[in-house]
Amino acid sequence: MTGVTDREQPGDIRLGRTGKTLRVLAAVAGIVLLINGSVRASDDAWPFGPMSQYAMSVPDDAKIDYIRISAVTDAGTTVDVPLNIEGAGVARAEIEARAGEIEKDPSLLQQVADGWAQKHPDQPKYVKLELIRDTTQLVKGRVEGPPASRVLATWEVRR
Amino acid sequence: MSAADVPLGQAADRSLAGRIADWFTPRIALARVAWLRTVLYLFVILDMHAFVRDTRLKGEHPGLYQPLLLARLLDLPKPSVANTTALYVVLIVACLVGATNYVPRIAGWIVAPAFTWWVLIGMSDGKVDHDHLALVIALWVLPTVKASRRGLASYGDQTRSEAAGWAIRCVQICLIATYFLSSIAKLRSAGWALTWPGSAVLTWAIVRRPHPVGEWLLHYPWMLHVMQWVGITAEFLSPVILWLKGRWQLLAALFFLGFHAANTAILLIHFLPTVVCWLAFAPMERLVPWFQARRIQRRSDRHAGQPEDQAEQSRETEQQPGA
Repeated sequence: MTGVTDREQPGDIRLGRTGKTLRVLAAVAGIVLLINGSVRASDDAWPFGPMSQYAMSVPDDAKIDYIRISAVTDAGTTVDVPLNIEGAGVARAEIEARAGEIEKDPSLLQQVADGWAQKHPDQPKYVKLELIRDTTQLVKGRVEGPPASRVLATWEVRR
Repeated sequence: MSAADVPLGQAADRSLAGRIADWFTPRIALARVAWLRTVLYLFVILDMHAFVRDTRLKGEHPGLYQPLLLARLLDLPKPSVANTTALYVVLIVACLVGATNYVPRIAGWIVAPAFTWWVLIGMSDGKVDHDHLALVIALWVLPTVKASRRGLASYGDQTRSEAAGWAIRCVQICLIATYFLSSIAKLRSAGWALTWPGSAVLTWAIVRRPHPVGEWLLHYPWMLHVMQWVGITAEFLSPVILWLKGRWQLLAALFFLGFHAANTAILLIHFLPTVVCWLAFAPMERLVPWFQARRIQRRSDRHAGQPEDQAEQSRETEQQPGA
């Protein structure tokens, strides 16, 4: 590769001693931060946290939870709330991460209804929201039957 | 700790430290940095609309805002309509200016903190993605490189610079770290044991994000296990790529691009902010000489009959790219 040979050529722009030392130190410090993050830190340490997406070992007999929000609209229909930016303005992963909090304080669901109403003013409004957990059972690493559903929180939407 | 602290004999010590320092600062043509600036600054604009795209929305509804460590350390204000809108405008302008390579360092020093804050807000709601490490670090190291030519001329600048090499090396290290540290996280989450590749993690992922390819794969758990073994092995061995050269490095890069294609098909996770940083390995500084050589050759073909050593020269150059 022509670009990375280290043979001296006239016209090469070299770094001064200080510039080189500082750069090497910065790179080494960054590597230390990254290793520290992966060995002991949590996601909180972004961008130096562990690369933990899909990193867990799921046992062959696991129960797989799937969180969703079901809504009753002012048109009398029941729909699954589209949990993304274009839908209710909030991603499903965010709701999943905060499910425990929402269970304790269902009023947090008000934001979901507000987000939907604001983004889709001409569509039926949500009047009641339910945070639901679907649980799929694995048997010997395979999916066994349809999921079982449980309502975690209910919220009557404020106008 | 500096490389000079390596405990070895005095003479050997100096040369080893020097060699380590040289590894971190290879001489790379400034043209590669110019290309990387253009691609990455434009990619940031794409990223703000396609990937980390809810930052302004978080300014409107800061209810679920949970500041991350960095935001708390710097005492960054809570997202609001005013500050996220300002951030948006500043980023778009600075990225467009930076992408032209006219005042790339000034623009770059604006983009780096602004985009870091943008992503920090985007990930401050309980969920953190791990695809932005190489991109964010790239934005911080690019402005450290002093360009010797501006604008269009910078894309063909063959002047080799250690400062450019350091910036490129940092991006390469962060890119590879994303893979290698993923394998470490998989070992750590199992209490430092190798249970991940034989577990039902892909089945779990597909059940939670159902789609046709994945649902078909659910009938063949052994295939998912093979993919898990291939994935974690490749991630663990990825640091080797930093020392591979030419064709072998290209093959490794293609393997990982295939790995991302498979991830996109099975998990609907594209990791594009990481993928774009593979360009740090690409000898983009050869693009302009290659293009010029082709033009010269085409011209000399037109004037066939006039034997030119120029044409011969261009044919030689043409064989280089793509390697």
